[in-house]
Amino acid sequence: MEDPSQQLPPGWIAQWDETHQRHLFIDQNTGQSQWEPPALPGAGAPAPGPAAGGHTKRRQYAAGQTQAYYGESGVVHPPAPGDMAGNAVGGSSFFTPAGGDQPPAQPSGFYNPTAMGQGPGVFSAGGFVAPAQPSAYQQQQPQVGALTDQFSQMGLQPGYGQKQFALHTVNLVGAFLDPRELVGPPPEIRLPPGACVSQEVTANADYTYQRCTMNAIPTTNSLLGKAKLPFGLILTPHRSLKEGDAAVQVVTDQVIARCRRCRTYINPYVTFIDGGARWKCCMCNVSNEVPQMFDWDQATNTPGDRWKRAELNHGVVDFVAPTEYMVRPPQAPVYVFLLDVSQHGVASGMLATATRTILESLDRLPNTDNRTKVAIIGFDTALHFFCVPSGSTESTLLVVSDLDDVFLPKPTDLLINLTEARAGLETLLGRLSDMFVDTHSVGSALGPALQAGFKLISSLGGKLIVCTSTLPTLGTGALKAREDPKVFGTSKESSLLQAADAFYKTFAIECSRSQVSVDMFLFSAQYQDVATLSCLPHYTAGNTFFYPAFNAARSEDAIKFAHEFGEILASPICLEAVIRVRASRGLRMSSFHGNFFVRSTDLLSLPAVPLDQSYAIEVQIEENITSPFVVFQTAVLHTTSDGERRIRVVTSAYPTTSNISEVYASADQVAIATLLANKAVERSISSKLEDARDALSNKMVDILTTYKNTMTSSGGGASAALSIADNMKFLPLLTLGLLKHVGIRQSTQIPSDLRAYAQALLTTLPSQLLIPYLHPTFYGLHNMPPECGTIGEQGVIMPPPLPLTSERLERHGLYLIEDGQTMFLWVGRDAVPQLIMDVFELPAYEQLRTGKATLPLLENVFSQRVNAVINKTREMRRGPYWPHLYIVKEDGEAAMRLWALSMLVQDRGAENLPSYPQFLTSLKERVNGSSYT
Amino acid sequence: MLGSGWLFLFGVLAAAGLLFTMVFFIIMFSDLECDYINPIDLCNKLNTFVLPEMGFHAFLTLCFLLSGQWTALFLNLPLVAFNVQKIMNKNHMYDATEIFRTLGGHKKECFIKLGFYLVSFFYYLYRMIVALISESE
Ligand SMILES: [Zn+2]
Repeated sequence: MEDPSQQLPPGWIAQWDETHQRHLFIDQNTGQSQWEPPALPGAGAPAPGPAAGGHTKRRQYAAGQTQAYYGESGVVHPPAPGDMAGNAVGGSSFFTPAGGDQPPAQPSGFYNPTAMGQGPGVFSAGGFVAPAQPSAYQQQQPQVGALTDQFSQMGLQPGYGQKQFALHTVNLVGAFLDPRELVGPPPEIRLPPGACVSQEVTANADYTYQRCTMNAIPTTNSLLGKAKLPFGLILTPHRSLKEGDAAVQVVTDQVIARCRRCRTYINPYVTFIDGGARWKCCMCNVSNEVPQMFDWDQATNTPGDRWKRAELNHGVVDFVAPTEYMVRPPQAPVYVFLLDVSQHGVASGMLATATRTILESLDRLPNTDNRTKVAIIGFDTALHFFCVPSGSTESTLLVVSDLDDVFLPKPTDLLINLTEARAGLETLLGRLSDMFVDTHSVGSALGPALQAGFKLISSLGGKLIVCTSTLPTLGTGALKAREDPKVFGTSKESSLLQAADAFYKTFAIECSRSQVSVDMFLFSAQYQDVATLSCLPHYTAGNTFFYPAFNAARSEDAIKFAHEFGEILASPICLEAVIRVRASRGLRMSSFHGNFFVRSTDLLSLPAVPLDQSYAIEVQIEENITSPFVVFQTAVLHTTSDGERRIRVVTSAYPTTSNISEVYASADQVAIATLLANKAVERSISSKLEDARDALSNKMVDILTTYKNTMTSSGGGASAALSIADNMKFLPLLTLGLLKHVGIRQSTQIPSDLRAYAQALLTTLPSQLLIPYLHPTFYGLHNMPPECGTIGEQGVIMPPPLPLTSERLERHGLYLIEDGQTMFLWVGRDAVPQLIMDVFELPAYEQLRTGKATLPLLENVFSQRVNAVINKTREMRRGPYWPHLYIVKEDGEAAMRLWALSMLVQDRGAENLPSYPQFLTSLKERVNGSSYT
Repeated sequence: MLGSGWLFLFGVLAAAGLLFTMVFFIIMFSDLECDYINPIDLCNKLNTFVLPEMGFHAFLTLCFLLSGQWTALFLNLPLVAFNVQKIMNKNHMYDATEIFRTLGGHKKECFIKLGFYLVSFFYYLYRMIVALISESE
């Protein structure tokens, strides 16, 4: 359910009146205006302004959404009955712009100068308003019902007997956006009754596995074209499970019922006919026989109950595949480590950290049946092979300096069984970095090393894991330092984001064919051509990690790399995978974005499916849809790291609609933003960065214009409001975040390695990581409520996030800004010594150093709470990433300060990037302008 | 004008050859759409023909230049320029990793080239006949 507190009846708009400092409500149909919010039974104050808005909105925050958010981050504030009055509680709460109308000295925080003398007692004070109010939630029930009634009275066609989507329009201008709403679930999927054979809520796949940009699908292509919303599917079929997540159900009896025409797997949306003897496919309507084993329990040899079968009750299910699904017996996991042993790799400490992490991760590598194989190859100006005979603790080093025609110096003992050669491997890893400690060789034969690794495992498949500190300079695949700062910000910039050498594409294709996946860990301080090197992970379904100017002497660098590397090594992988997405008749998968190789028009080939990687697929409506709902089914045929061939089938069904308002009311802004990010990156590489940005803002203008013309009464005329559906209200902000993102934004300063890496992340991060990457999270720590940072029922309680504007930065404050990849601890210039002492163990602000840091854990409550918040931030989103923590002083190093401030995307950015209000104004002008023509 | 008859005869044969190459390309692309061939094999196959096709066309144009057939030369120059530009930008080869995204564009290009070679074919045929007639008079 969406938050309706900002909703107005159709035709009403709210206008902020500067002189009276309150909202004026205007009925656009009659022209009548009033100060009171238009009557909606049980409605709160509609469309509150930025200042007053926080309280009202938070008071009415839907309990379901709160639950969903805090389920991840663990904040559940106890209901505070006294806060019902909302606005009456403390004018000094977090949602009042501090820099603006209120003097900074106001006692709003715990560590402000006036509060100093009071000692630690101030911790309990402060204007905090509880965000979740069960009682307010109760109040909303009649209100939503009334709205729905109103809509049906207005003559909106009821769909196919299912509940209606109620469209809530909000005015973006002046609207307050609560960052917490971004993390909530998408609009509900309201299937017609009888669509599903199961009563289970799990019959539709959870949105974390598969989500659609619209939860009600337009029946015709012209309706889709009219709505202007992009139509696509966001997949994360192999997602990690955290404690509390339901495990995927497994069908072990090898009875796999599939449609004989379209090969769809049986799912909860088929219909049983002929008294249950046959089933009708939900995609192509062909009737198929029900396997007899559906009603027979093989394990106990007794009649079974087909209605209890997992594939008829769960949207996400794993089938254990019989031998027909195997081209060859399931392969064991194979890991080949290609380590840069040149002077750069050794001097930066990369080699030592990498070997230590591998050594420590040997027990965590997937190796259930002792079949896992490992090889280690070093490369600098030559190739160094390590030969470890099984059972021996000794290893021999074989050097190959012929780079033109790569050969393996020994047929055996290079690729070794992890269990059998464990002792030798441990000795080798323990002293490998010492063997090269005095090396003076400068140069990198990465291409030949890749070829050697490929030769070693091409008959088996597996993973090549590359750690390299320099640009490849020798042999095949040698690259030039092509970066030219003069082309930054020009239309030629995208050529730096394309692959420089064809080797990295042809080799990727070879790898994909032989089921070899490549992971890249890049460490260079100089230009390393991330754009070209990341091609290998891109087409072989691997991961790219980039640690610019890595130096293991800084413990933060070493910890970050060791953590991420260790997570990748320990994660269960799916080998030899293919993904195919099937959909109901009339729908076609038209283009694919993500890390894989497209092997045919609808088949994606992935030598390995990494954990928590996301794929985006654009969908086309080819012919009119007549059925009341459509089904998307993703099938991932793979070999688990336990050596079992399995098929993961993810099925989700969506209702169809011929009503444009339902299309809007069901739009999933997070999925739309994810798809737009993928398309923008592709556009920026194949065409120009400028084109990608233009396409983004044009898309936004198109959506807003159509929305205004079809959904609001102002129609084609000019309007002071900028209207959009409540469930899409973050879309312009997310788009602005994308336009200002390192991967996309207009700038003459961004090194192309950073751009290329940001783009790689934009196309692979799953939604829970991508959204903060576009729209960072911003917390005030100095004045966080007393329970924040302590352990609550669902883990560490997080402070309430602030809107991303520097207006919220108080001069005495301590703030955390994080985007899932980097964290900034912002210290205001007037931070009191007590705070500096408590958090950093330093006597004064002046002693504080800007830059990468590890926060000490001190013997005081505040330090422990801040540390708890930071640690929770690092782990609360599923994924391998370990964000760096940077300390930023308000008057410190300019570059660092600007970097931190660039995360506050609602502000005006450097190089003339618009602020959020400016962006809205330009959108509004274009929306109004285009509707005149 | 003894040579022009022979020259246009060569032109007719060349245009026919190029015509068939384009038909082959188009058939291969539709095979790809129907999953009869995988993108790697397709690109390997087609890429062997890309440079010969361009070279052959450039050679024909050169012949027109040397023999002073200005109309035929100007007819062919735009395509030569287009091909040269593609080679300069290094995107004349088919890329298996991108083929599905760019397939529409490739097909369109092939159809346009097909039309062009067809027009050229009849034009050369006409010029050949004209040349033969004037020769026999
Ligand atoms: Zn079917």
